[in-house]
Amino acid sequence: MNLITLKNKSREEIATLLDVKERDSLVEKFATLGLPNKKTEEYHYFDVEKLLDVDYKTLNYIPKAIEEGDKIEIIDGVVTKAPKGMRVYSEPCESIDMDHFDSLYYLGHLLSPRIIRIEVDGDCHVEILHKYTQSDALINYRIVISNQANRHTTMYENFEAEDIHNTLVLYGYDMHVAQDSTLRMVKLQVMHDNKYSMVASHKVNVAKNANVLLKNFDFGGDQSLQVLKVELGEHASIEAGHLLYLNENSKRGTASQIIHRGEHSTSKQEAKNILDGQARGIFDALIRVEHSARFTKAEQSAKSILLHEKAYMASKPQLEIYIDELEASHGATTGQLDEKQLFYLQSRGISYIEARKILVIAFANTLIEQVKDTRHQDRIKSAFEAVFYASNKG
Amino acid sequence: MSKGNNKSVMKIENLQAKIGDKQILKGLNLELEAGKVHAIMGPNGAGKSTLSKAIVGHYDIEILGGDITYKDKSILEMEAEERALEGIFLSFQHPVEIPGVNNAYFLRTALNAKLKHQGKDELNAAEFLRLMKGHLEMLGMKSDMISRSLNEGFSGGEKKRNEILQMLTLEPEVIILDEIDSGLDIDALRAVSEGINKMKDGKRTFLVITHYSRILDYIEPDYIHVLKDGKVIKTAGPELVPYLEEHGYDGIEED
Amino acid sequence: MANEGLDKAVSGEYALGFEIDIETDIIEPGLDADTLAFISKKKEEPEWMLELRIKALKKWETMTEPHWAHLDYEPIDYQSISYYAAPKEMIDSLDEVDPKILEAYEKLGISLDEQKQLAGVKVAVDAVVDSVSVKTTYSAELEKHGVIFCSISEAIRDYPELIKKYMFSVVPMADNYFAALNSAVFTDGTFVYIPKGVRCPMELSTYFRINATNTGQFERTLIIADEGSYVSYNEGCSAPTRDEHQLHAAVVELIILKDAEIKYSTIQNWYPGDETGKGGIYNFVTKRAICEGENAKVSWTQVETGSAITWKYPSCILKGDNSVGEFYSVAVTTLAQQADTGTKMIHIGKNTKSTIISKGISAMKGQNTYRGLVKINASAVGARNYSECDSLLIGSECGAHTFPYLESKDTQGQIEHEATTSKISDEQLFYLRQRGITEEDAVSMIVHGFCKQVFSQLPMEYAVEAKALLELTLEGSVG
Repeated sequence: MNLITLKNKSREEIATLLDVKERDSLVEKFATLGLPNKKTEEYHYFDVEKLLDVDYKTLNYIPKAIEEGDKIEIIDGVVTKAPKGMRVYSEPCESIDMDHFDSLYYLGHLLSPRIIRIEVDGDCHVEILHKYTQSDALINYRIVISNQANRHTTMYENFEAEDIHNTLVLYGYDMHVAQDSTLRMVKLQVMHDNKYSMVASHKVNVAKNANVLLKNFDFGGDQSLQVLKVELGEHASIEAGHLLYLNENSKRGTASQIIHRGEHSTSKQEAKNILDGQARGIFDALIRVEHSARFTKAEQSAKSILLHEKAYMASKPQLEIYIDELEASHGATTGQLDEKQLFYLQSRGISYIEARKILVIAFANTLIEQVKDTRHQDRIKSAFEAVFYASNKG
Repeated sequence: MSKGNNKSVMKIENLQAKIGDKQILKGLNLELEAGKVHAIMGPNGAGKSTLSKAIVGHYDIEILGGDITYKDKSILEMEAEERALEGIFLSFQHPVEIPGVNNAYFLRTALNAKLKHQGKDELNAAEFLRLMKGHLEMLGMKSDMISRSLNEGFSGGEKKRNEILQMLTLEPEVIILDEIDSGLDIDALRAVSEGINKMKDGKRTFLVITHYSRILDYIEPDYIHVLKDGKVIKTAGPELVPYLEEHGYDGIEED
Repeated sequence: MANEGLDKAVSGEYALGFEIDIETDIIEPGLDADTLAFISKKKEEPEWMLELRIKALKKWETMTEPHWAHLDYEPIDYQSISYYAAPKEMIDSLDEVDPKILEAYEKLGISLDEQKQLAGVKVAVDAVVDSVSVKTTYSAELEKHGVIFCSISEAIRDYPELIKKYMFSVVPMADNYFAALNSAVFTDGTFVYIPKGVRCPMELSTYFRINATNTGQFERTLIIADEGSYVSYNEGCSAPTRDEHQLHAAVVELIILKDAEIKYSTIQNWYPGDETGKGGIYNFVTKRAICEGENAKVSWTQVETGSAITWKYPSCILKGDNSVGEFYSVAVTTLAQQADTGTKMIHIGKNTKSTIISKGISAMKGQNTYRGLVKINASAVGARNYSECDSLLIGSECGAHTFPYLESKDTQGQIEHEATTSKISDEQLFYLRQRGITEEDAVSMIVHGFCKQVFSQLPMEYAVEAKALLELTLEGSVG
């Protein structure tokens, strides 16, 4: 199937093309927003039309019997393994945000009428492994994650691909963070060799007094955009960290909207971007403080370093504020490694490459070290080093 | 007041006030005698700062009952700026920074507002600068202090000196010094005290709010009032200071 | 806090809303090729100019009005606007200005009488009422220095070579919808040429006044600073209080050659409309400067207090190596005003530098948006940008939005952007009041402090004006 055929189509045509029935409101939302293109604000720096305009083979998403494993494993959009006692379901989605800004959020829901629902129980650590095995395919699936009140959960999301090529993954989660709970989501995604491209479109609801921590580690090449919408209730908080370390012809990044709805809600968003090769990094992040969200605190920062003359960073840290009882600030810088620091290290006998590595890691470390679990932190560090050595082959 | 028939300039009667949901002042009585130095001492949380805020009409305070009269008139209904123009001055414990507002410009505006209120002629820039020069010298302040932004980037000591500079310039009648000695080194403390003592002319009245007695070595008080749990529990002469130093506030018996 | 005090402090009356009682020569509303022919004829333009106007109109007709800005306004009916209006007296006597106009300008604080100005603070003025320039002062004196200071209509007649070379060179005819409209219907505006090595001996300024009903004002300004020259130019504007919206779509082009500098200041005080959004000027303006040569420098300073809608992004194309672009802005939105304003800094040359200082103040129902692009091309080795965008909110119904676009393709380039949003703190207000300063004065003092970095960029006499204007806009007291 070629998704570009959905461009500028009426509701009826879309319903026919996607073969959907009785999901009128979703079709309408998708038709109104339209298939994204270069003029769509959040896709402005990401060439989405080129990715959509390909004849992909479509797959079947018939639920399989779930084997017992140490993590949740999703192969080509179908759950194959889950830890014992983990509640994983395949069912129609009941909680779709009818006011999302991203049309691919709706396309994802239209393409995947049944979602994978993961109910996290109690205080725990859960690992989700996404695996892709099909070439030239459109892999589409969506997850709904919910936790329980007063519980503290950490989830690790990892991505693997077999030796495939030219696949497009349309994925995303709807996350419901229950009252008084904490949910940490640590994502590590290393991409290279054009195995697959991805657009992930998420929605996160943070209930009263709940905390969510999203930590993204996006390394390597290829193309992937994470579109994220977060809504914060009263006294809710989000801490979002985005580390991009890109090389080759990569185009990756985040387009996010964090919306403060409840009073005393807080958001802290920090992006660090390291661009090597001909990579393009994207950080298009909006924090909106609605009229109802008095006493809000919002803080946003984006720091970028360009390591190669062909690298390119597009930063758009934005504040949209409709109330005066708040504290909000943002900052963004783009620069390069400090020559003096490099020289200092070299003068102590450290090779140029190692000195660069030390400084690049130092720049990234504030985010990496926020991952407290040492095993996962080490995994992120070694993935980071692998990208470094791949781009600095002497 | 216990002693004599001297003229009282401010009278606080049965004052009850709260901040947020918490009642802090619980029927406070206090009379300030004109021309004297009154020290308010008491443990943390006794309501010392709340008392000073109530006198100047701070937005945090809600008055629940009682009255404050100044020169025989109730001031509770007066706006903060009216109280200031009538001669009540508070030296803030933590003076706020106001970026971009030139210190001299601010002070001249305040002074001219006061002169206008008194029906006097306003000062022009040259007269004002001359006045400043003397004050700055006395306080050991660098002359560039008045061309900087109001309190912005000032050290703790500089902020307190700046408060005293304002006091000297505005010549108020009732002067409330809220923890004026906190965060001051010995030189700053001396300069600040000198400024205060210069204002002691037998007419102006001082209300020195302090947790420690250190400042009282420099500014001799006429009366000590001990504040505890939102009330003045004892009023005595300066002889109470060494007693307090030795025994703390717990040993005080109520009057 | 006493909210009435604050409301009073931020709802100042518009003091310049009077009407000049003169007879106006005005054409029927509507826009087509005939309208352009009419304007061109009135201006005694050469044929080539009319051809360019027609070309622009054709392009405009294929374009659509942009709606990406954070602005909400009623649709504009371009056919219901009259595109030419001029004081009638003008037609009879070109040298004599109607005394009523002179009087009106005095009332606006601008003297068109050279004799009356104080020696030492000479400011040359081009006075534009509706579609025509009524008077340009000091032209003769400036001519001695080789400086050309005249209305753009005169320049089209007298300096066709300069016009042909530079007009549309910075803002192309079809750059955007409003620029294309302006290119077709522009009526008057100012032309300045500063020859090589000349430091313009006085401040130049233009004062725009909309007076006629149902018209739009579409002025066009072109300033060329030849190698090694310097000029400081200022523009001001105002309009009568009216219930209908009026459109103002201007284009300003600045060309700065090697080692030259232009300092361009604007005090924009178009009628803002009332607190319900009734009336007020729709201000859609395209301003752009190109630093053509090495070490060229351009500095935009704007104080935007008026207009119902402001859509304006004075930009700098930093083409010459080591060229410098600066943007200093204070934008105030109170009542129901909306402003979407900022800048574009396009770094092309090596070691180019740009600075952006933007101060937005929102009060009552005002919506204030900073939108700015900093683009460092790969060729701009060693380019630097520093941006600071602060918003001050007064009241709970206003909005402040910051949308910076930062694009860097240069490994040696450096971009730094900082933004804060805050309100006037109760603590600051109280501190000043405790010293006997009224709440109104305290608010205005804090707001001035907030804008200081920008005001300090204005030429002395205009800084005073800007300060007074801000006070007027934000205070209850008139006069």
